[in-house]
Amino acid sequence: MPANYVVGIDLGTTNSVVAYASLETEQAEVELLELPQLIAPHTIDSRHSLPSFVYLGGEAEKSQQALDLPWADQRDFAVGEIARRQSADAPDRTVGGAKSWLSHHKVDRQQDILPWNAPEGLPQISPVEATRRYLEHLAAAWNAKFPESSLQEQTVVLTVPASFDASARELTREAAQGAGLPDTLVLLEEPQAAVYAWLNHWGEKWRKQLKVNDRLLVCDVGGGTTDLTLVQVDEEGGELSLRRVAVGNHLLVGGDNMDLAMAFDVSTLFAEKGVNLDPWQSISLWHSCRAAKETLLQDENADAQPISVLGRGSKLIGGTVTVDVPRDRALKLLLDGFFPKCGADAHPERGHSSGFQELGLPYESDPAITRHLAAFLQAHRDEAEKPVTHVLFNGGVFKSDAFQDRLMEVLADWNTEAPQRLAGPHDLDYAVARGAAFYGWAKRHGGIRIRGGTARAYYIGVERAGLAIPGAPRPLNLVNVVPIGMEEGTSIHVPSQEVGLIVGETAKFRFFSSPIRKDDQPGQALSRWDEEEIAETDPLETLLPKDDAIQESSVPVTFESKITELGQLELWCVSPRTGGRWKLEFNVREDD
Amino acid sequence: MGRLGTALTLFFKILFNRETAEKAQAVLLLPAAGEAPAPTTKPEPPKPAEPPKPAVPRGVDALVLLAALQREARFLDLFQEDLSSFADAQIGAAVRDVHRDTKATLERIFGIERLRDEEEGTSIAVPAGFNPLELRLVGSVGATPPETARLVHAGWRATKCELPKWNGQPEAAKILAPAEAEV
Repeated sequence: MPANYVVGIDLGTTNSVVAYASLETEQAEVELLELPQLIAPHTIDSRHSLPSFVYLGGEAEKSQQALDLPWADQRDFAVGEIARRQSADAPDRTVGGAKSWLSHHKVDRQQDILPWNAPEGLPQISPVEATRRYLEHLAAAWNAKFPESSLQEQTVVLTVPASFDASARELTREAAQGAGLPDTLVLLEEPQAAVYAWLNHWGEKWRKQLKVNDRLLVCDVGGGTTDLTLVQVDEEGGELSLRRVAVGNHLLVGGDNMDLAMAFDVSTLFAEKGVNLDPWQSISLWHSCRAAKETLLQDENADAQPISVLGRGSKLIGGTVTVDVPRDRALKLLLDGFFPKCGADAHPERGHSSGFQELGLPYESDPAITRHLAAFLQAHRDEAEKPVTHVLFNGGVFKSDAFQDRLMEVLADWNTEAPQRLAGPHDLDYAVARGAAFYGWAKRHGGIRIRGGTARAYYIGVERAGLAIPGAPRPLNLVNVVPIGMEEGTSIHVPSQEVGLIVGETAKFRFFSSPIRKDDQPGQALSRWDEEEIAETDPLETLLPKDDAIQESSVPVTFESKITELGQLELWCVSPRTGGRWKLEFNVREDD
Repeated sequence: MGRLGTALTLFFKILFNRETAEKAQAVLLLPAAGEAPAPTTKPEPPKPAEPPKPAVPRGVDALVLLAALQREARFLDLFQEDLSSFADAQIGAAVRDVHRDTKATLERIFGIERLRDEEEGTSIAVPAGFNPLELRLVGSVGATPPETARLVHAGWRATKCELPKWNGQPEAAKILAPAEAEV
């Protein structure tokens, strides 16, 4: 049976959304999939988003069938709304933020490490497994609605942060395949998907909104992460075309940080009144702050907003405590804390190294999104110094206009000409899923494609020959194997010196990437580099098995890189002499 | 396409598309008696059928709604409380949150809208043969309804009814909120 639909999946850090369009229609008609999920034990409701949380239950819930779904019996875990709620009441049994862990190279993402720091004896799962369970739920919801068009047989587009490097993408793909998504799965960068949603809105008329040499900044601030992308408008054969020219680093700062910052601030107001909140009340305060945030930022007439924390027990009124939060205090905290005015030459402030650092997620030490933005634009200022002309917003944070306005103000300060907010709807919650579906649809029906190739350059670390100094590691050369902008469906034979692989042993290579170094060509070797520019990712390894064709104890090889049609990066060691080829695989295990 | 192919194609079309099923019935089977088309006899579905869930007894939906309001908005905690011992300001502080969350929950489940868009207090037209379910005339209504009347209440309407589904034993639905104990 041929594929009937294209399905776009936005696998978010805090929420996942599925959109789809029939491939049989003339125009792309993108709709959101209802996602049935548990919201309480035994209680199933449908929502347009699935909170990306897993609750790891116990035997009691399994035998009571409290966590069962229409498509699954005897469950001892649950994903979605019920799990998000449990994260407040039972944090030791709830996994959240698995996506941020996927790109965290300091831990083994195949190992059962989540919930992080769970007490002895409680169940844990790996970040990949958590991701697989979200995707499996989404797939089951699809299959329940379209039993005759199983997801396995549809065209599926899954979005990932633009800042995800090759190994994080590979892990996402692995989770997707484990969840029953098709092998033909295409990965699309989230900010690009937001642009596709905008393109779908305008149809061919988008060409009236932008002109040659315009530069579009996609600013995506979600619950947990900030993702920045620059798209350039070019002209090709008299037609406008779009090219993604830069992506930012993976920034772990988002809306949740804002709500937490405000909750922390308000809790000091409670403390001034002599009220100390227990952990449960703090969570409830967090919830209240999220709601109050929008009122306070929006309503210019409100001098203050009362924020209450309800009594914990069934005695609701007697236990309720309230403080008035002045509007200017909230404005200062949120706007100046997260979107401070700063110069175009600003840099994020480095955190204080506190002597010992916990191995948790590497949250940004500077929450100022505008300073991260300034650094991003400085790193990607090309010769022509083209300024940003348009901005597309994405992510729930921008529901508060005050944040959009502040960002536009700051950008106007940096440029001689103030950029514009891109005309048309900025669908902050669902644009990524909708855009992903439209991308798949346009791919089939022939429509505008954003070009750009790989967002990062990749380097293999090769030890330099030379005198070994006892106790010191051999000096390292980085050899470029993938330049920025390498297109899908192409491969490169890297013209570098040969490296000797020892037969019968696993060869390990350190592996690095950079979203910034645009001029490095394949084969180019670097002996020094700036750690701000080039970051180490997971190592690569390959094993040369002993076989009859190989007589020597080591084989000299060079490298070959390939970007598949589906956007996957493949690296091979090839032996010019024997013609042998060995694929390099990521090793995501913890460093020794 | 061979006969088997045709048969399978028709099989799935008839199974999954009501229109096709009705057409097939009209053309291939006896003309449906009366106006109501007889339900299609369902052949074995291609996938194992879900085990039949026990029919939901009457009233479970109402319990699910109460539980939802308590869970989302602490509705029962507020309405079960004795107000006599509290000052109005104290009640107000608590109600604000319960109100916000109750409203959001009702909105999500029922999509509640005003029935009339006109301002209350203004005069509205009363068309001949108006629907008495949607408009109730109060006051001194004569034998023939007037052409206009003053709107005193704009009315409410649910635009949907999307209650959460209960997936457990009916008796267990009576637990509107579990007791909580901290360890």
